[in-house]
Amino acid sequence: MVTKNEFYAIFEMLFWPLVTLVSVGLLGEFLYLGKNEVAFIIIGVIALSVVHIVQIDVTYVMLLDMWSMSLKYLIVSPVPFYRMVVGAWLFGVVRGTVSLTLLILLSSALFNFSFELPLAAAIVFTLGLFASSILIGIFNCVLILIFGRRAEIFAWTLTAVILIFCGIYYPVTILPEPFRTFGLLIPITHFLEYFRSFYGFSPTLQNPLVFGILETVIYLLLLLIVAELSMRRARKTGLVLKLSG
Amino acid sequence: MRVKAVECRDVWMVYRNFMEKGVTALRGVSLDVENGEIFGILGPNGAGKTTLISVLSTILVPSKGEVRILGIDAFKNTNKVRERLNITSGVRLPWGMKVYECLRFYALCYGITDKNVIEKLIADFELERYRNTRFDDLSAGNKQKLNLARAFINDPEVVFLDEPTANLDPDIARKIREMILQTIKEKHITVILTTHNMREAEMLCDRVAFIKDGKIIAEGTSEELKRFTKANEKVIVGFKKPVSSPLPTTYPYELDENSAIFYVDDAESFAPKILMELSKAGIEIEYTKMEEITLEDVFIELSESN
Repeated sequence: MVTKNEFYAIFEMLFWPLVTLVSVGLLGEFLYLGKNEVAFIIIGVIALSVVHIVQIDVTYVMLLDMWSMSLKYLIVSPVPFYRMVVGAWLFGVVRGTVSLTLLILLSSALFNFSFELPLAAAIVFTLGLFASSILIGIFNCVLILIFGRRAEIFAWTLTAVILIFCGIYYPVTILPEPFRTFGLLIPITHFLEYFRSFYGFSPTLQNPLVFGILETVIYLLLLLIVAELSMRRARKTGLVLKLSG
Repeated sequence: MRVKAVECRDVWMVYRNFMEKGVTALRGVSLDVENGEIFGILGPNGAGKTTLISVLSTILVPSKGEVRILGIDAFKNTNKVRERLNITSGVRLPWGMKVYECLRFYALCYGITDKNVIEKLIADFELERYRNTRFDDLSAGNKQKLNLARAFINDPEVVFLDEPTANLDPDIARKIREMILQTIKEKHITVILTTHNMREAEMLCDRVAFIKDGKIIAEGTSEELKRFTKANEKVIVGFKKPVSSPLPTTYPYELDENSAIFYVDDAESFAPKILMELSKAGIEIEYTKMEEITLEDVFIELSESN
């Protein structure tokens, strides 16, 4: 609702994902990659774009109210933090779905990407991406509640940092230790590996989906607790008043 | 026993930052506000007014002390308390939202889905013409009206208004004051208002508290507070030429080169005597005014004595 009238919200949803898809797709053609290799990197592009769109909507819970100096009005209302986050996430899911659909259609049209997942598996993969995004969004909110305005930069950088470790354009097995283990602790890694298993790439762990879901649930619970504690701390130190103007 | 709207006991607030020494904004503040009262918190910039109402409205958690709103512990049952209060502080709201959307958004934050609530507020605060205008495109006065309308969205029993007319033109400020009074009268709610506009406080508030350096230095009705001063009235005398201290008079005064303020109990009877003393000393008088002591005078005197 807060971003409804904003042009940049549409820009975020369409412009950058398309630019990334076209540039990476053309790179694949230039390097004469095979059909499956192209699929591998295109899945990465799609994941990166969708995760970024959804997570930033969750992060906007803090950011937009902080920028408009009206965070105090949200804090003083009885709506709990998790509901604010879930509301923003649902809006992000809508935007993410639009972007996802568009990217898949364009990938097929421009780079012969064929969507070979069975419907149920596709739904699980998509939900996995959406769930991973809420984790990044809440983590961003926690950073803002702890470090204040200086942490807002993470809204645009954290997704990129995480996607380096979860093997967006490569399998995590090529990462040196301890980054490889770190990569396996990120749920998106497992969701990407699950998707790629349908294109003949074997996953690092046997049941990527189970690991992805398990990690997501554990992190979600932990992050919601940490977010509540961070909010209380920010109310005690006076940071919320600084964030409100 | 009647439950008080606000009970605040020995509240301390220390702002802390990483590795930095804390800044103490409130130092043992205690106050009670009765139901239906309009209570003013007055003080200069940086005195702790905004911090105090941020604590009372549960935005901040105090370092020490107890706050009860409508008899409920504000920090043990925070959500219960939040359902029954609201606040405005500054005129900022999300810039991209239109007037109607903004009220709808905040209504949903309180679980209010009845669109009539929003329509009534739009009508009460004279925002009909602007219902589809983005917040950023509203004038300062209309931004404040929208913010006030938002503050009444959950039909609160206690409302905190932080400098509701600050930075507004005098005519808009007067209109906003009228709207506040009208709404309060209709809804029988308790209002805690901060301002550094003493006239506004005198006009709106049943009781006021003066805050300075995070401490309440005096509290009471305007009349009670005026008794803190040395006199009830003042005689202001303007001079034709600059005059230096001391003046040849037995009455207490403040001199400002071209004018002097004399503090007396009864201006009408003392003014001729003052003028006579000044004339005898050869001081030429340009004008004379008689005024009642204002809250501003009380505040200045209290500040100096503290």
